[in-house]
Amino acid sequence: MLLLLCLGNIGNSVAHLSSSSESTLHTNNWAVLVCTSRFWFNYRHMANTLSLYRTVKRLGIPDERIILMLADDMACNARNKYPAQVFNNENHKLNLYGDNVEVDYRGYEVTVENFLRVLTGRHEAAVPRSKRLLSDEGSHILLYMTGHGGDEFLKFQDSEELQSHDLADAVKQMKEKRRFKELLIMVDTCQASTLFSQLHSPGVLAIGSSMKGENSYSHHLDPDVGVSVVDRFTYYTLAFFEKLNMYDNASLSSFFNSFNPNLLMSTAYYRMDLYQRRLEEVPVTNFFGSVMETLHTDSAYKSHRSIDIGEAKIKKRTDQSISGSDRRILRNMNNKDQVSNLSTEENSQDSFGQLWNSVLSKVTTTENVDEFVCHGLLLMLSLLVASTWLSH
Amino acid sequence: MRESKGSAKIRWFWIWVTASLIFRLILIYFPKSLNLSSRPEVSTPLTSIRRLAEGYWLKQSSLSPYAGSMYHGSPLLLTLLGPLTVRRVEGQPDHLLCSLVLVIADVVTAMLIRAAGQSLKMSSSSSLKSVGLHHVLEYSEVLPSGDIAALVYLWNPFTVVACVGLSTSAIENLMIVLSLYGGCTRQAPLAAFGWVMATHLSLYPAILIIPVVLLFGYGPDAPPRKLLRQRTKFDNSSSIDNSSVEKDVKNQLRELNFSWKPVLHFLFWILLWSSYVLVLCGIYARQHGGLKELFRRTYGFILTIPDLSPNIGVLWYFFAEVFDFFRNFFLIVFHGNVLLMIVPLALRLNHRPCFLAFVYTVVACMLKSYPSVGDSALYLGILGLFAYELSDMKFSFFLFCGYVGVSLLSPVMHNLWIWRGTGNANFYFATAIAYACLQLILVVESVSAILNHDRMLTKLTGAKLQDVKA
Repeated sequence: MLLLLCLGNIGNSVAHLSSSSESTLHTNNWAVLVCTSRFWFNYRHMANTLSLYRTVKRLGIPDERIILMLADDMACNARNKYPAQVFNNENHKLNLYGDNVEVDYRGYEVTVENFLRVLTGRHEAAVPRSKRLLSDEGSHILLYMTGHGGDEFLKFQDSEELQSHDLADAVKQMKEKRRFKELLIMVDTCQASTLFSQLHSPGVLAIGSSMKGENSYSHHLDPDVGVSVVDRFTYYTLAFFEKLNMYDNASLSSFFNSFNPNLLMSTAYYRMDLYQRRLEEVPVTNFFGSVMETLHTDSAYKSHRSIDIGEAKIKKRTDQSISGSDRRILRNMNNKDQVSNLSTEENSQDSFGQLWNSVLSKVTTTENVDEFVCHGLLLMLSLLVASTWLSH
Repeated sequence: MRESKGSAKIRWFWIWVTASLIFRLILIYFPKSLNLSSRPEVSTPLTSIRRLAEGYWLKQSSLSPYAGSMYHGSPLLLTLLGPLTVRRVEGQPDHLLCSLVLVIADVVTAMLIRAAGQSLKMSSSSSLKSVGLHHVLEYSEVLPSGDIAALVYLWNPFTVVACVGLSTSAIENLMIVLSLYGGCTRQAPLAAFGWVMATHLSLYPAILIIPVVLLFGYGPDAPPRKLLRQRTKFDNSSSIDNSSVEKDVKNQLRELNFSWKPVLHFLFWILLWSSYVLVLCGIYARQHGGLKELFRRTYGFILTIPDLSPNIGVLWYFFAEVFDFFRNFFLIVFHGNVLLMIVPLALRLNHRPCFLAFVYTVVACMLKSYPSVGDSALYLGILGLFAYELSDMKFSFFLFCGYVGVSLLSPVMHNLWIWRGTGNANFYFATAIAYACLQLILVVESVSAILNHDRMLTKLTGAKLQDVKA
């Protein structure tokens, strides 16, 4: 989890947040990305989901907090001319599949039942932790679904359907069990906004790619791969997000308003009546990334290392410097772990070993062990020459 | 006339040495189609330069160089050759600097063999003189065994292949020959350094401590001591007043008894060098598990033979089919085989320590866990030092043809097995068995030839004594 230091306006929104009806703090972000379509000609649904996966990872959500459900395997499909590669654009610039993709539910595991189990958390005992949505009351969850849909339904695997009241029911259960603080549902199917028409739980925001009676269209066909590679709604979503990085604070309203109905060939309808906050104040990284707020405590950390004094000093220094710039400063906590490891090793040895270790560590550091050994070798050779010459 | 002949010989020697150097350099610049460094006969898990480069890269990435069971050699070698594998010169073949180091190692080894041969010759001529066999001396002086051995070492195809194929056995051979040279010329620091480094690099030269100790104790190769004792007794009893004879007597007396002082000096230098090497290795391995892990990965690898990739030895085939239950037993049997040979050979050949070292090298090369042609390059070179004593060796032509045949057939069988798939492991193992048999015949015949030579000397001395008495 990245700990970042805040800006002034985020501090304002913190104040705003604490005055909202939810008294819990936002502590973590989750993403549930679902592709429900099977078969090669639905390549674009896979590419949609993988594009969102890549965006969400890039902006900071780690694999442990992403549930990726892909109903079919396009990357290693026998009809894929580019094996192990999935593209979302004709120019093949981005390989979405890459070498760092963690799929949690694959193939026939993507069913309505599993989807609802993920949302509500009612799994069988043997389901591993990586397949569970382990969110709590401080979580912001992004739920993205893509595939073929229609009026009040979403088709799973070409054999079953998820209906809008099923989804609303599941979200209501989640709210009862306090499994989320805020939920953003994004749906990219035909007649997408009908899918969340039955929702009535507070703290839920939803956007769909098209309204009732409209179709959602694919963006372009890739003549090389042979199928359409991305849908319009997701394409323009990515166009918005590719310009961002972790440190930007573009708001959700700018995101929602970035969709042009002429380009989408449908109306991107969003529903914010269940959501208390104003969209202009919510940064997109609240759902799509993993940017947290830090709370300073004045009490000391419990530790026996002198480096903590250094850390406290760093904190004080950065406190003074926030007021100036608009940027967030990143701090790395790794060096503390390394020092603690080394010192535990030292404590476990006897006094002679400690003395020897201290002498050696003074003489050599990690980098110049090689040089030291090299010099040792040269010294040995010169000793040899000297001793040979002397013994003559 | 003799001097000009001698200087002509020396000139020819240096011409041949330079020619071998140029030949190696030409082969290094040859295109990669020769692919010598990937042949199992040349590069074993212990001597391969690719594994060394991998170990160096692991070290540079702050991992232990022994991670992943790629590199199993000495850390000192890694410090020496590692940076050279990385440094590239524009437009030249890969690993050029490494090949230059190995070429230099080869040339230095040849020079040391020559010097050892010259010192052996001097001592053998003085001992023959003291026994009174002057006509034998004349024959042996014609043959400059040191030069012959050096040229045999340089021009041996095995050595050339091992050098061009970037096998680190060239450096091991250098250390072994250094220890023998130090023993022959009675330089304890050199000999101790050579022995410690050779044992450190590969475990098997440890058995060479016995010949080197005998070299320090008794001196270089000489006829059997009972001949010298008979001569001394005879000289004493005949009581010829001659200062030169008295000097000879004194020399003989010195050589007849085992002198402990040089041996202790040698052992002291061994302690010094080995503690230095251990300290350096300990510092190097401090972050990666310490000395215990280092020994487990280097010597433990040699002794437990976990890697069963084919090579020109016989152990891989055997251990691929042995049951796990018996694996430790057979490891003990195979390694004990080497140890069992040490004592009887030492007892029988203790008057000829250099030849004993040669026999030990052949035995170790036959029975070691990962042999390569670099090891046989070593003993074929040392074989040349005894060119005079072994001139009556039986089966020499058969052995020569056998070596040529095996070295040609072995890559063919390997190709048939691995690349074409028309052969199987038995094809390749057959050439490995033939190679082991050839080495066996070589060692048996050479030992019997030396013993015959000693018997001939005894007979001649006995005849001479009879003549003088009569």
